[in-house]
Amino acid sequence: MAQNISPEQSGAGGSSKHNDDSLPIKDNHAVSKRLHKELMNLMMANEKGISAFPDGENIFKWVGTIAGPINTVYSSQTYRLSLDFPNSYPYAAPVVKFLTPCFHPNVDLQGAICLDILKDKWSALYDVRTILLSIQSLLGEPNNESPLNAQAAMMWNNQNEYKKYLDAFYEKHKDT
Amino acid sequence: MASLEPTQNKTWDLSLYELQRKPQEIITDSTEIAVSPRSLHSELMCPICLDMLKKTMTTKECLHRFCSDCIVTALRSGNKECPTCRKKLVSKRSLRADPNFDLLISKIYPSREEYEASQEKIMAKFNPTQSQKALVNSINEGIKLQSQNRPQRFRTNKGGGGGGAAANNNGGAIAGNANRAVNTHDTASNDSNSNTNGNDRESRDAAGATGAAAPAAPAAAATTTPVSTSSSSSNNTTTNTTTTQVATTAGTSGASTSSNRMQVDDASNPPSVRSTPSPVPSNSSSTKPKRAMSVMTSERSEESESDSQMDCRTEGDSNIDTEGEGNGELGINDEIELVFKPHPTEMSADNQLIRALKDNCIRYIKTTANATVDHLSKYLAIRLTLDLGADLPEACRLLNFCIYVAPQPQQLVILNGNQTLHQVNDKFWKVNKPMEMYYSWKKT
Repeated sequence: MAQNISPEQSGAGGSSKHNDDSLPIKDNHAVSKRLHKELMNLMMANEKGISAFPDGENIFKWVGTIAGPINTVYSSQTYRLSLDFPNSYPYAAPVVKFLTPCFHPNVDLQGAICLDILKDKWSALYDVRTILLSIQSLLGEPNNESPLNAQAAMMWNNQNEYKKYLDAFYEKHKDT
Repeated sequence: MASLEPTQNKTWDLSLYELQRKPQEIITDSTEIAVSPRSLHSELMCPICLDMLKKTMTTKECLHRFCSDCIVTALRSGNKECPTCRKKLVSKRSLRADPNFDLLISKIYPSREEYEASQEKIMAKFNPTQSQKALVNSINEGIKLQSQNRPQRFRTNKGGGGGGAAANNNGGAIAGNANRAVNTHDTASNDSNSNTNGNDRESRDAAGATGAAAPAAPAAAATTTPVSTSSSSSNNTTTNTTTTQVATTAGTSGASTSSNRMQVDDASNPPSVRSTPSPVPSNSSSTKPKRAMSVMTSERSEESESDSQMDCRTEGDSNIDTEGEGNGELGINDEIELVFKPHPTEMSADNQLIRALKDNCIRYIKTTANATVDHLSKYLAIRLTLDLGADLPEACRLLNFCIYVAPQPQQLVILNGNQTLHQVNDKFWKVNKPMEMYYSWKKT
């Protein structure tokens, strides 16, 4: 049955950022087991346009890459993202951030992403693969109703202008 | 018990699939249904923990299954909806226990402890920090092992071989292929384990290749039914599996029943039983980290109607592992099987290269379908160079190949290098058996 968390246990597993500390936390072993399984599946599926791998020794921290979706202004870009898994994963979403600067209506300049499935629409069935695919499709289909980057949201309607701005943006951020 | 269905208006519209689907016929004869390990695993897996279902709970309305622990935790921690389809789940009372499903699982995997122990072992060995190194190692080792075992293969079968890593552009696939090559040799060197009895061997091959098969004899009909039920209830999993293997005599049927049952119960496998649904090879004494991956990647499903595969099978034990799914499963796992032969006229018997290769000139290859014809040609060049070593005639040092496909016998079509095998297969090779390709050596 669902375990109650002993206080010392919830403190373990340093990397985790708790989305919600009140969540029931399964033991770390179960979480890392699931992450290992995801990694194995991911490596075998070799999905086009996305990839992810733990960042160093810690299975709770991953780095993913997504290719900008084709036929969008982002098509020639590749983005690196960080994924931080909480101890309550997969009952709580990982914290996902763009490492590569990304000019997009739903991404702020610190790389934070506004995406419902990473917040209230999270489901335990989502995994690294579906998260990255969702973010990939978000690139091409932004939600301009709730922008984190108002400038990007305003510019979105003029795709030619947007593309020009984007190119300049990446030229500027080349070194970072 | 009163069912607590949400009061929201229900729609009972059937999807197109549901409207078209035909009921599964109940199997009463000795027909066996082969379910590939991967689809079997996805049936029995909890989508939350990705492990085998434990104390199965089914949502009352949408009929999705989860471990009891997992779904209870999910409902407590998140939205009150089905994690799979977002249908409202008011509380635990929107779930019901599914002891029948637990029973089914325990039939298929009688020893859960052993299954779990084996899973743990894989996980322990699958250390992400090592896996990149392991990837490279596995390729090297695969090639080494393959060349070591080559003489043995010459003896045992003319159709053996293959399984090596075709040149292709992605790491994961290379690892998978290379590992498969390792596997091949395990089989070859474990020949002492294998039973030489004809019937038994055939049934073992069939079951080994397909992973799990429903028991055949009418006496075991009780077991058969739940398996087919589970397949039918969950969309069309049975469509990607093969419905064949009718045992020929009562005796064989009995034998295959028992041996298939053993296939299914992976945990208590005798050493000779292979390719079980579990990702753990039973002869795991030599298991290396990469092995785990290889077995998981290689989904075995046999197309027994494919004549060429039948031929391969009867001709030697050592190639069991190199055969596998036919092209029919292409869409599912994106792997493709090839029979690679020398060009009938340009590479006739007096050709230097063919003379050096002798009976090893026909190659059996399984690789990802997104490898291109160019990859294949490069692979062949490297492969043959490695095989021949010093025997390679000086004049052939720079091997450069033209690749052909034969949509009809006697009609060879030369292939453009940048086509993927998938495209070639779609365009020229529509039948459900390994694609036959031809190579000829270009002097230029």
